[in-house]
Amino acid sequence: MGRHLTFEIFRFNPEDKDSVPHMETFHLEETERMTLFIALTRIREEQDPSLQFDFCCRAGICGSCAMMINGRPGLACKTLTRELPSEITLLPLPVFKLIGDLSVDTGTWYRAMNEKVESWIHTHRSFDPRAEEQRMDNALAEEIYELERCVECGCCVASCGTANMREDFLGASALNRIARFMMDPRDERSSKEYFEVVGTDEGIFGCMGLLACEDVCPKNLPLQDQLGILRRKMGWQAVKHLFRMG
Amino acid sequence: MQTAAMTRERSFPTRTSAYLDWLQMLTGAGLILFMWSHMVLVASVNLGAGAMNTIARFFEDTYMAQVGGPLIGAAFLLHFVLAARKVPFRTEQQRAIWKHARLIKHTDTWLWLVQAFTAMVILIMGSIHMWTVLTDLPITAAKSAARIQGGFWGVFYLILLPMVELHVGVGFYRIAVKWGLAGRSQRKGLKRFENGLTAMFILIGLITIVRFWTLPI
Repeated sequence: MGRHLTFEIFRFNPEDKDSVPHMETFHLEETERMTLFIALTRIREEQDPSLQFDFCCRAGICGSCAMMINGRPGLACKTLTRELPSEITLLPLPVFKLIGDLSVDTGTWYRAMNEKVESWIHTHRSFDPRAEEQRMDNALAEEIYELERCVECGCCVASCGTANMREDFLGASALNRIARFMMDPRDERSSKEYFEVVGTDEGIFGCMGLLACEDVCPKNLPLQDQLGILRRKMGWQAVKHLFRMG
Repeated sequence: MQTAAMTRERSFPTRTSAYLDWLQMLTGAGLILFMWSHMVLVASVNLGAGAMNTIARFFEDTYMAQVGGPLIGAAFLLHFVLAARKVPFRTEQQRAIWKHARLIKHTDTWLWLVQAFTAMVILIMGSIHMWTVLTDLPITAAKSAARIQGGFWGVFYLILLPMVELHVGVGFYRIAVKWGLAGRSQRKGLKRFENGLTAMFILIGLITIVRFWTLPI
């Protein structure tokens, strides 16, 4: 016999002018290996079809179902209800634009971020589809892949004190993204160009090191290490310039 | 293909943020080392008033107190100005960080609020302490004891001590994780070490205050 779960869920539909932001209570019997995604689907199917939340892959790959679970950002599909107390509060992610209830628009934010940090390989080489693919050392490819695993769910941004206070702060996923391109030998950008993008208070020097990003990342990306490396690299770049070394 | 970043290469990137961040870290690290040394030196009174007087005389005979004192004061103010760039002074930012901290219940986020709060207290009380001591040289165990036994200064230091040690301890941890000196695998251990260190310095400080309070003048 499962526990009796009580859900406190944020409800608000910005499209409806009569809608007022409020919390609504739902009850559900816990089933074996129940995830928050399963619970929300059951609530929507059995109790309130108007409940809005995002999902797609149900396997922690698409990053759509991020929400504040008892105050902490996390993926609904990866969170088992048995890991939570019987009272569960669900809020939409802060920082991002609210679509309705638990659904937020991370897409627009991430698109703007990727454009801002120019999140693509910068090269002068023209692409020849018939040529053999450029080879890369396996260890390096794995290192790059480790950072590439980001699913852009927005948990790091929602958990970041700086991002919550300052709209212009890039956030951990953007800095992780840049760290990924800095490792890639195919990207021809110089340290100076990378410095332009992240060597500011909107970038790595705005990070206050609260490390909530590291603690909540559902993909367990090495954000603390990458932010540290980036700060040292960018800091060193500025010092080198001071002594006209670079 | 000419991209925006490639075009920008010829322009002059501003490095101010980087230099200010370096300075914030370096003044912070310097002040951490100073505060820990300061605590150990003042605690020499526990070995006897003579021990503390000898050390104080050494620092004055070599002019380290007369010159170093104001320099530490300047570093202290500079560190405040640099770090204050990150402290939310605007109401909406303050509201955002409070709401955020209460919601996510994340220790390191709370520790940053502790740093910001203790910073304000230290700015005022630390300035008063420095002014009082440096305008009344030489430092002697008897003068410090008389001040503390007056009551007001005793309470003053009982408040200032944990404020400084918390700020310094958290700052030490923060510099290490921010600049990547401690990686993911070392973070937990570093935090334990920092907690132990902070507790130890607060204990030494308390013992020292009690010693001053009971020192026969």
